Order: sequence, then structure tokens, then C-alpha cells
Amino acid sequence: MTQDKRNLESEQRRLFLQRASVLSGMIALGGGSYLLNPKGAWAADPIKVGIATDLTGPIGYAGIPNSNVAKMVIEEINAAGGLLGRPLQMILEDTASNEALAVTKVRKLVQKDKVDVVLGGITSSMRNAIKDTIVNRGKTLYIYPQLYEGKECTPYLYCTGPTPAQQCDTFIPWLIKNGGKKFYLPSADYVWPHVLNEYARKTIVKNGGEVVGEEYFPVDHNEYSATVNKIMSSGVNVVFNTTIPPGVAAFFKQLYEAGFQKKGGRLACVYYDENALNITPANEIEGLATCLDYFKALNDPFGNKLQAEYTKQFGTKNPFTAGSASTGMYRGLKLWETAVKEAKSVKREDVAKAMDHAKVADGPGGAFEIVPGSLHTKMNMYIAVAKSGKYEIVEKSNGPVMPAECG
Amino acid sequence: MSSIVAFFFDVLAYSSIFVLVVLGLGVIASMMGIFNFAHGEFVLLGAYTVYAFEKLGLPAWTGMAAAPFIVALVGLVLERVAIRRFYATPVIAMLGTYAIGMALREAVRAMLGGQFYSVTAPLVGSFAFGEISISKWRTAVIIITALVMVGCWYLLARTRFGLRVRASLENPALARASGISTSRVYAATFAFGSALAGLAGGLMVPIYSVNADMGVPFLIKSFLAVMLGGMGSFEGAIAGAALVGGGSAALPWAIKPVVADVLVFIIAIAIVKVRPGGLLSSWGKRQ
Repeated sequence: MTQDKRNLESEQRRLFLQRASVLSGMIALGGGSYLLNPKGAWAADPIKVGIATDLTGPIGYAGIPNSNVAKMVIEEINAAGGLLGRPLQMILEDTASNEALAVTKVRKLVQKDKVDVVLGGITSSMRNAIKDTIVNRGKTLYIYPQLYEGKECTPYLYCTGPTPAQQCDTFIPWLIKNGGKKFYLPSADYVWPHVLNEYARKTIVKNGGEVVGEEYFPVDHNEYSATVNKIMSSGVNVVFNTTIPPGVAAFFKQLYEAGFQKKGGRLACVYYDENALNITPANEIEGLATCLDYFKALNDPFGNKLQAEYTKQFGTKNPFTAGSASTGMYRGLKLWETAVKEAKSVKREDVAKAMDHAKVADGPGGAFEIVPGSLHTKMNMYIAVAKSGKYEIVEKSNGPVMPAECG
Repeated sequence: MSSIVAFFFDVLAYSSIFVLVVLGLGVIASMMGIFNFAHGEFVLLGAYTVYAFEKLGLPAWTGMAAAPFIVALVGLVLERVAIRRFYATPVIAMLGTYAIGMALREAVRAMLGGQFYSVTAPLVGSFAFGEISISKWRTAVIIITALVMVGCWYLLARTRFGLRVRASLENPALARASGISTSRVYAATFAFGSALAGLAGGLMVPIYSVNADMGVPFLIKSFLAVMLGGMGSFEGAIAGAALVGGGSAALPWAIKPVVADVLVFIIAIAIVKVRPGGLLSSWGKRQ
């Protein structure tokens, strides 16, 4: 072997070692982990808040505003002097819309970082994947912020988004009055639409309506001509939709082109928030009705203040809306803050005791509180109708609506 | 009566969209023997081009016209940099193109902030004939697909370029010995396949709205279509696409959509079993 060749080899070996060390460093740190340290100098140790949400992958549209809201609220609490004289430190994990990955991420949060509370998860499958690691094996408090199908009654797991009762009890009587009695339920084939439809069907029948059809599609379905034809030929008044993006755009377009709205039909979709208005051109969803816990269109002083602050910090690309679990994230952090203050401790048992009756006077959409013994949140609900690409509030629930879950 | 017309129109419209998506994949698979797993993302790039043009204030049709060229350019660069290294090993090519596809998808997701955006079609609304309403844009897609199909066939079967492509496919060594630069032919074919994907994306964006995952649902069914048609036959890919697309649209009229989705695969696999060479293997394949 010549000298030259040997030099070259050793150089290559050095390069390899360099690259390997960089790579192993990256693996050790893990991708998608972010630490947000409190600003300023604090004497006390921080309280650790773990946020596990989908910053990337298909659910990223909701995870991004979710983490933004968490950051905003945590900084606000720190600016007001922290909690129990201690600052809050936010540890953010990107669960990447991947349940298997998420389990290792939350395990890191509870075992390595030893966080005092975990908030996050958007889809029900995500919640089901991570809850055991957090609550049972991790002995940590868990707050789930998204609107969902209900029936989650695991102790130490608090749900701060609307349940089927909250989305249907006010909404379905309104739809019967402002649409008609014949309902069609086109749905994506996964847990949320199935369980929500069960409740919706009961409410429809109770209010004198009838369900003409209930149909489930593969989650990535994007051709709905058969269903549109059935809807058009059976004289349906209300299409109560739970098909999901991206296919929902094709469905609404086909329904519009078939003239459903022109013939007096009412389109309804309970996850459709202000952000979702971008999915289809405005004229195709003219008159679409939805029922959520907050709309920008409420134009209330507290909501406007939150919106202004959010937009200042994060811009308008991923807005603060109800459908993306952002309002649930806000409520979750505020309820937990209230409970910690009352308990004067971050120990799980103490916080849970105070959490059971935590109340907050101001939030997006108004006051909210945990219903004792139910692990769910009572909140105001609003019905809005899309007009020229914007929502108009048409009805408000008669005070906070009960979640009707867990006893 | 009105349902029968609606049925045939909708099946035809969906099959057309499907054929358009499969064309590019079929050209690359049949001419070069590799499956491009980034095909769905090339479709996405075409859609994104239209969205970007609209955001700049240009009409949607200009974006649709530009999409094939922009995506062809992206395809050409990727072919020269990475994909040409995979030709000898089709399995590695699948993994490699899958990785490229994922990178493209996540890049677009970052640009869109994970959001969904609608693009208004150049032709809005529907033709009404009494009880029947026919979507204007879907009609346009059917016509454009038919033209593109004929154009592709002409290019590959009747022109000098087509002859070189076919020669390079049949016997690369002999083609090179006859003075054809197979490397250049492969690059051009890949760019052409990419352009078709770009066009498909551009034309379907008004129907599906742009989002990072819009190419994904088409990908697996597109492979099924190419398998069904048989590798190495361009006409076969189209026939396969028409069958898979038509089946996907037609079956939900009779049975539950969730069952229909599975049934399409079962029927296709059964056909592949009976005719391993592809649907048109007895008379479609050039010898």
C-alpha cells in the first residue's frame, strides 16, 4: 500500500467517524423535540409542561396551532409571575401523526423529563395510543384538547373539547327547524363518525326527524357520485357530514354541482371551523351550518384579544380556531393552572382533586368549567352558517352545555 | 333515467381522472421497467403549481398549462441526480423514489403549513338538462384526458422519439450500438412521465383542493392499474386504469363503499392471477 493511498484511507476514516458522531448525536437527541425555557431569571426550579402534538404529517394542520396556543398561554402565565412562584417550562414533542412514534415520545416526557402534566394528542387513535403510557404507567395527569366522540372516562385524563352531546343537543333541533326532517349521514369509516352518528341519530329521532341513510367510506375515499345520487333522489333535507379531508372537498363539490343547496338542502358539518373554509370554494358551501365552542365571528372582546396576540406571534397561516383543538388546548392549560393554584402543589393527586371542580371565567367562547366527577368540560356552544366564505353566528346555546359523559 | 345518465357520466369522469394519473406512471413503468413511488408527489407538485399561480394573481388555466413543464423539469433534475442510478435494481428504485416522494410531500406540507386550499376551476358550475346536471369541469377533464391519451399513443407509437424509446426498452445494448443515447432517452422519458403527472395534478386540483396528501390515495390504486394492464404495455396501463377507476366509481352504486374499495382489489388480483402478463397481453404487447 502506498503512502498516498494510506493517507486517503485515514482521511476517509476520519470523515466517516465525524459523520457517524454527528448522526449518533442526532439519534440520541431524537428529531422533533423542542425545549422552551422560561424567559428571565428565576430562583425556583421550573414546573415542566409536556406538549405532545402532531407538528408534521397529515394532522399537522391542527398540531401547529395547538403548540402555538400552548406556547402563548405558558408565556402569559410566566409573564404574570409563574405558578406557585415557579416558572413553567414547555417541552414540546412532535408526534408526527404517528401513534407508534408518539408512544416513545410521551415515554420520554414522563420518564426522562419527568413532566408534571401532558397535554396533546389530536385524533382519538392518538389519545388511545398514548394515554396508558402517561396516566397508568407514567402516573401523570393528561389533558386531551380535541372535540371527539366521547366515552373516555380514564381517571386523571381530562377532556377539554366538545363531546357529541355538546355538538348535537343544540344543533340538531336547529337543523330540523332550518333544514328539514330527512337526514343523510355520509361518514368516514373510523371511530369518531361511528360514535357521533349513534348520538346524532338518537337526537334526530327524539326531535321528530328521520335518518334516510347512513353510509361509511374508506378514510381516503374521493369519489362520491353514488352517494350524491342517493341524496338527490331521496329528497334529503339535511346532509350531516362526517367525511373528512381531503375527500370532503370532492364530496361537497359533487353535492353542489348536483344542485343540493339550490334545491333547498342544508349542509351540516360539526368539525368545520374557520380554517376549514379554505378547503372548498366559498360558493360550494354557501349555507353550511356547524356547531362549535368558538368562532372568530363571535367578535367578543376576550376572543378578539386572544386572536390579536396569536396573530402577532404566529401570523395567519395556522389560525387559532375551534376545530383544530386550539380552544381545547387553551381551556386545558387554564383549567390546570387554576387547579395547581388551588392545590398549591403539582402532585397528581392534589391537582386532580382541584381539577375536578376547576372553573375559568374567561375563555374563547366564554366561561368554562369541569363538571365534577365527569372529567369533561362544560362550555358554551354556537351555531354558525357560512355566508360568502365567512361564518355568521345564528344561534347561541342557552348557557354552558353539559358534556353528558362519564356518569 | 336521470340516475342512469349521472351514473355513466360520473364513472366516465372518475375513470378519466384516474387514467390521467396512471398515464405518467404507466409510461415510466412500461418504458423503463421501474415503479416511480414519487408519482403521487409529482401529481401534488402539479397541483401546487396551479395553487401558486393563483396566489400570484394569475388565472388557474395558466398554472395548469405551466404545471407539466415545471414538473417535467423537476423530474428531469431528479432523474439526472438520483433515479438514473436505480435502473439496474428495480427494488431499490421503489425505495429510492419512495424516499424522494416523502421528501417532496413534506416540503409541500411545510410550504402550505399543512393546510388545505381550494382552487377555483376555469369552468365553474354544471350544465343542466332538466333533472340532470353535468359538471362543466369534469366534462373538460374527460375531453382533455382523451386528447392526451391519443397524443401519448401517437408520440410513443408513431414518432422517431417513440421508436427510440421502444428500442431502448426492448434491447438497450443494441440501441446503444445503433447510436441511440439510451441515457438521454431514459431522461426524456422520465421527464415526459413527470409532465403527465404534473398535468394530472393541475387538472384535478379544482376537484380535490390542494393539500400535501392529495397524491397518496391515487398511488396504490395506480400501481394496481399498471399491474393489471401489464408492465411493458402502454395501452395496457390505460385499460387497467379505466378498469380500476371505473370499478371504484361504479361499485359504490350497488354495494357499501367500504366493501367496494376492497372488492376492486380482489377483482384486480384475480385478473392478474388469470392473466399474469396483463389484460392486453395476448394482443397488446409489441413483439
